[in-house]
Amino acid sequence: MRSLILIMFFFAMSCSQKKEITNEVNLYSQRHYTVDEIQYKNFEELTGIKVNVVKANADELIERLKNEGKNSPADLFITVDAGKLFHAREQGLLQKVSSEILNINVASDLRDPDGYWTPITYRARILVYSKDRVSKEDLSTYEDLSNPKWKNKILVRSSSNAYNQALMSSLVANLGYDKAKEWSSGVVANFARDPKGSDRDQVRAIAAGQGDIAIVNSYYIGILLSSEKESDLNAGKSVGVFFPNQGEGRGSHINVSAIGLTNNSPNKENAIRLMEYLTSPEAQEVYVNNSYEYPVNKLVQPSEIVKKWGEFKVDKLNLNSLGEYRSDAIKIFDSTGWQ
Amino acid sequence: MAIIKSNFFFENKRWVITSLIIATFILLPVLVLILNLFNGQGETLNYLVETVLFDYTINTFKLILICCVSALFFGLIPAWFISNYSFFGRNFFDLVLYLPLAIPSYIMAFTYIDILSYTGFFQTLLNNISFIPSSFLNVDYMQIETLGVLMGLALYPYVYTASRVSFSLIGTNYINVSKNLGLNSAQTFYKIILPLSRPAIFSGLFLVIMEVLNEYGAVKYFGVNTYTSGIFRSWFSLGDINGAIQLACILLVFVLVLFYLEKKTINKSKFYYSKNSDVINKKLQQKSSFLMTSVCAVPFLFGFVIPVLFIINNVIITYSDIDFFKLLKLTWNSVYVSTFSAFLIIATALFFLFVDRISRRNWSSHINSLISLGYALPGAVVGLGLILLFSSYSLVGSFFILFYAYIIRFLAVGKSPIKSSIEKQPLSFDDTGKNLGLGPFKLLQKIHFPVNKYALLSAFILVFIDVMKELPVTLILRPFNFDTLATQTYEFAIEEMLPLSSVYSLMIIALSSVMLLILKSFVDKQIDVS
Repeated sequence: MRSLILIMFFFAMSCSQKKEITNEVNLYSQRHYTVDEIQYKNFEELTGIKVNVVKANADELIERLKNEGKNSPADLFITVDAGKLFHAREQGLLQKVSSEILNINVASDLRDPDGYWTPITYRARILVYSKDRVSKEDLSTYEDLSNPKWKNKILVRSSSNAYNQALMSSLVANLGYDKAKEWSSGVVANFARDPKGSDRDQVRAIAAGQGDIAIVNSYYIGILLSSEKESDLNAGKSVGVFFPNQGEGRGSHINVSAIGLTNNSPNKENAIRLMEYLTSPEAQEVYVNNSYEYPVNKLVQPSEIVKKWGEFKVDKLNLNSLGEYRSDAIKIFDSTGWQ
Repeated sequence: MAIIKSNFFFENKRWVITSLIIATFILLPVLVLILNLFNGQGETLNYLVETVLFDYTINTFKLILICCVSALFFGLIPAWFISNYSFFGRNFFDLVLYLPLAIPSYIMAFTYIDILSYTGFFQTLLNNISFIPSSFLNVDYMQIETLGVLMGLALYPYVYTASRVSFSLIGTNYINVSKNLGLNSAQTFYKIILPLSRPAIFSGLFLVIMEVLNEYGAVKYFGVNTYTSGIFRSWFSLGDINGAIQLACILLVFVLVLFYLEKKTINKSKFYYSKNSDVINKKLQQKSSFLMTSVCAVPFLFGFVIPVLFIINNVIITYSDIDFFKLLKLTWNSVYVSTFSAFLIIATALFFLFVDRISRRNWSSHINSLISLGYALPGAVVGLGLILLFSSYSLVGSFFILFYAYIIRFLAVGKSPIKSSIEKQPLSFDDTGKNLGLGPFKLLQKIHFPVNKYALLSAFILVFIDVMKELPVTLILRPFNFDTLATQTYEFAIEEMLPLSSVYSLMIIALSSVMLLILKSFVDKQIDVS
């Protein structure tokens, strides 16, 4: 029993250890890539500002921010989905940022029109297709995927995936609820199998001949094409990359990974400095070469692998609508049987 | 009797009050959820009920069924063979059949799909040497049935452990009597052993069911929507936290019913283990010996050897990318939180079971059930309860809250072995102690602590492993810059970089395996002691 008391004592000790560093910036982040650690380390070396991170699910972090209120230690909220930042802003958790440097760094068409969040990278939700069984000329738009000619051909992951939810939200925003629902029914009827697995699993399913066309995120294809496993590399090479809705169309759907400054940020200056750093050409260069995302700074080119797919026209939709129409998107998924 | 009852409260006032206070703290997050139950309009709940919840619930039952059947198959039969027969490899299997518990279920799922996929090892190999047509193997393996069996592989040790101990403790007396009455081996197993072991088997299955209920990573990957998916659909997709709370409360009611059923089975078939006579370890014909060896080899091979070999292979492939400094740091973090919370949890568990024991009261056993509720809740929901409670005091993100959450989540795991051990001690121990003038504290210190020593150590190890594998609670409640082996594994795996995650999952598996091998020796001692 005495040892138990001792243990409790050490426990209390370990809990009360608090480091008193004032020159810091605190992040709540949905991103958890190795490249982020590199960025934060570089920033620390450059500025002497310590970067502290908690990585978790975006909605959980929103809940934490909301309940912490004025006592929140968080300065920045980072997501991989503009929709989640829209929700955070709706609940009054973010504040506007105005910075000349950010305006220079970030391409104007990618910025939040209302100024509540700043993108750091973006990714496209694209189509990949079997080079053997599909001719590129037959592919055109997302809308066309509901065409009965693709029956038993379409592969995609489940509707609980945030990237699919964002894509559907963009369709609701662009086409309206009823058209989007009609589209969803058509696509579901064309599914090669029930939605499941990761984006990479969809590519493997194409290689395995279980389907012909998959809806995937661009950067997962980048990861696959740089894989050290030969069989995965071959699977990646067996598919072609296609950007839908080009030419006269509205452009391919993209989503951003973005940062918002929290309403009660205790280290506001440091926070803005980090935002400026992450959008600088130097840091953008690090992003594109490690995570195969697209840069938001026009001075930086995408990585070699990604560049090979060519330039593409981006859907200019206000990305806040990815959050605004999220519930509609879920309702469409559920009512049309997109699991 | 009534007089004794009324005396009790005053005699042990401090113990009772302390237990009530601690129980309140443990139940706080659940209470907060219940208080928030009527906050929402119920719109989301109605919506989900109308659309998908029925399917999700059916899936849940289906998954539980498949998982339980496979856990029984992988756990029960080998436990019976090992407890009663001597065959080739018996001692070896006795040692290693616990090991799959070292592998987190989502890692098991990710790994197997990687092995089975078109570009994976299995199909590549068989296509190369192949007389089997490749189209035969080239099927979609991501089905609810596969998931159920994989989870069965990851979780059967719960059933195995419980039934192994029980089978050994039943001893040969029952078996001899049944033989004398003319029953053959199979009949003895079905008519005598299974009914006698029902409480043990059920308590093992109970843990399996709880794990299936709170599983989220693997089910999401497989595209199998379970009831828990419904909770997260409400929260993460529809942004309605109140809907999520309402669904979680319904889940709690279901689990309470399960608790009640478990209790009923145990009360119904309560018996005292007889003294353990020599285990027969009959010599067998070669044919049956071979059969038993194969039956025991299956769960070990598929639940441990294959996934671990695959993970080791991935470690070798990515060897040049391994950051050993980071690996060391995360290992330390994992060991630190696991050790610490395991201590806290077994202390809490022992305390409650002891109060239950000395009080011999119904309400106290109800409290004992209630405080186990946290095990059935998805970790993220426990996290939510704590966020709602403590965020505004800036406590979330401290180790204090993190350990608090682990206690709520894993108290049931810690209690289980201690409980079955304490229940086996005759009440006369306590009475004798009291007659000799021991107060409750001395009773705990001088009798229950030493007598249940091995059970406490077993509980420690089981909790240690569970915390080491824990993910959702750690993700949302952890302090700044705090990563564990489990969070790092998850972060790579979820970003489809399974090979890079393998060194961290291998470390989890290695540490947990060592602990499980130690556990094995404690379980043996428990069997001997009885």
